[in-house]
Amino acid sequence: MSYSEKKRSLKNLKYLLLFTFPALAFYFVFLFIPITSAIYYSFTDWSPVRPDYSFVGLNNYIEIFTRDRHFTNALRLTMRFTIFIFVLQNIIALGLALLVETRTKSKSFFRTIFFLPNMFSLIISSLMFRFIYTRVFVEVSELPFLGFFDQSWLGDPQVAFWSILIVSLWNGAGYMMIIYMAALQSVPASITEAAKIDGANGFRRLTKITLPMIMHAITICSFLTLIRGFQIFDVVFRLTGGGPGRATQVVALNIFEEAFQQPLRYGYANAKAMIFFAVILLITLIQTGVMKKMEIES
Amino acid sequence: MKSKNMINVCCLFFLAIFGFIAFFPIYMAVLNSFKTQGEMFTSVLALPNEWTLQNYVDTIQRMDIFRNIWNTVIVTLVGQTGIVICASLAGWRLSRTSGKLSSFIFILFLSSMLIPFNAIMVTLAQVASTLNLADSLIGLGLIYTGLGTSMALFLYHGFVKTVPRELEESARIDGCGEFQIFFKIVFPLLKPITATILILNSLWIWNDFLLPMIMLSNVNNQTLILAINRFFGEFTTDWPRVLSGLIMTSIPVVIFYVLFQKNIVAGIAEGAIK
Repeated sequence: MSYSEKKRSLKNLKYLLLFTFPALAFYFVFLFIPITSAIYYSFTDWSPVRPDYSFVGLNNYIEIFTRDRHFTNALRLTMRFTIFIFVLQNIIALGLALLVETRTKSKSFFRTIFFLPNMFSLIISSLMFRFIYTRVFVEVSELPFLGFFDQSWLGDPQVAFWSILIVSLWNGAGYMMIIYMAALQSVPASITEAAKIDGANGFRRLTKITLPMIMHAITICSFLTLIRGFQIFDVVFRLTGGGPGRATQVVALNIFEEAFQQPLRYGYANAKAMIFFAVILLITLIQTGVMKKMEIES
Repeated sequence: MKSKNMINVCCLFFLAIFGFIAFFPIYMAVLNSFKTQGEMFTSVLALPNEWTLQNYVDTIQRMDIFRNIWNTVIVTLVGQTGIVICASLAGWRLSRTSGKLSSFIFILFLSSMLIPFNAIMVTLAQVASTLNLADSLIGLGLIYTGLGTSMALFLYHGFVKTVPRELEESARIDGCGEFQIFFKIVFPLLKPITATILILNSLWIWNDFLLPMIMLSNVNNQTLILAINRFFGEFTTDWPRVLSGLIMTSIPVVIFYVLFQKNIVAGIAEGAIK
């Protein structure tokens, strides 16, 4: 390397560090420190009410999986919820996208309507539905043929699961629909036309041509619904508060209560948070692995 | 031809049903916010005999809604400014520099997008109170900068690849400094992706709940979503009043939606595919 080249690469390095410095500084303070200290504290009995803390090794983790039924129940419930939201959200969103794409003049009207719920924050959506579940459905159930609306929407553990699911679907389906619509628009019309002339029916055209060609959108929406589903918090917090009892307590709510309610076991809460992190990582790895494979095959 | 018509009718039928489901809760909330409590008890579904604005008047008096809006605006502004500055500076330079260090830094940011908020909320609250950022609107904005930069950096990094280098090179030959090149030439060219980032982050910060709830405890500092959450706690069963609060809280976002619908939709599709 000549002298001038060396000087130039040194200059490049200087500017690389200068330009990335602000971003790296924020990264260090608000992401790196929290995640590393969360890992560290998960092996301690740290609590803000006591001045000292000591290392407890894997004790927190052992306690979580052997004695903390609330957490393992929450984990099971959240996984069940994640699977339901993953399947239903994607089917509904893709269905809506296909339906809206059949329209010509009214396309943007329907897109506006279906996407509108996503503009409402999850807290507001949940409160609106609290009103629907506790007041409106009572009156609806008095109408002829609609008696099945007479449910204890928030009070019955089995039904409450569906009530939470409905709010999440109502709020989120429009978002995924937008992604699917963008993908559908990139499928060239000439290919589906050609298949039509060759005599392929609507269902065959969908499974053999359209779906494989929007595989990338399916990958993204699957990823988003899985990740967001597992992280669900706002809807449960405001709709049922985890109740009745702890029947709808999801993992995020369990961690939240452990961390910010007495007896403030920060170390223990961090161990839970790290398990949460590990599950998210696992979902991401499996999901991207499987979908990448499917994308190549199709 | 007949079967084609049938399919068309079926499509319209399903669109109407789903459209009804999407719109019904909003319609119910708006309708009942104009009723007196007595009238709501008589019938939730029926139109009110007498439309009243009293709920809205009460809510404005009780909720201090303009202060809450102002608080939310401050948090959003601070967060957005931080995100755009940090992410555009770093995204541009990382995209233009090859080498191990550059890709290492990029991967560092990329991998942080896998960290779920719930996993770091306990220690993040701790960091914030150590730095005296807890219960401060500016502090909350700075935390949003920390959490939002990675995604924005990723979008800038991808977008810069589509911007030709020639302009930067010729400015460099003309003796412009690197920062001058960035602010005078590069940053204006990044406008489309900056707009996308601003719109997506506005919705995120404006509607976010858990982070502000952990960080802000002073009533005077409440964001709009925190305020409505608290308002519900006070008037749980007085639904007409709660609903009027919900509607008013949603108005800013709905206006935003009407104004920027095209950009929001394009932004989501763009952000997802990258």
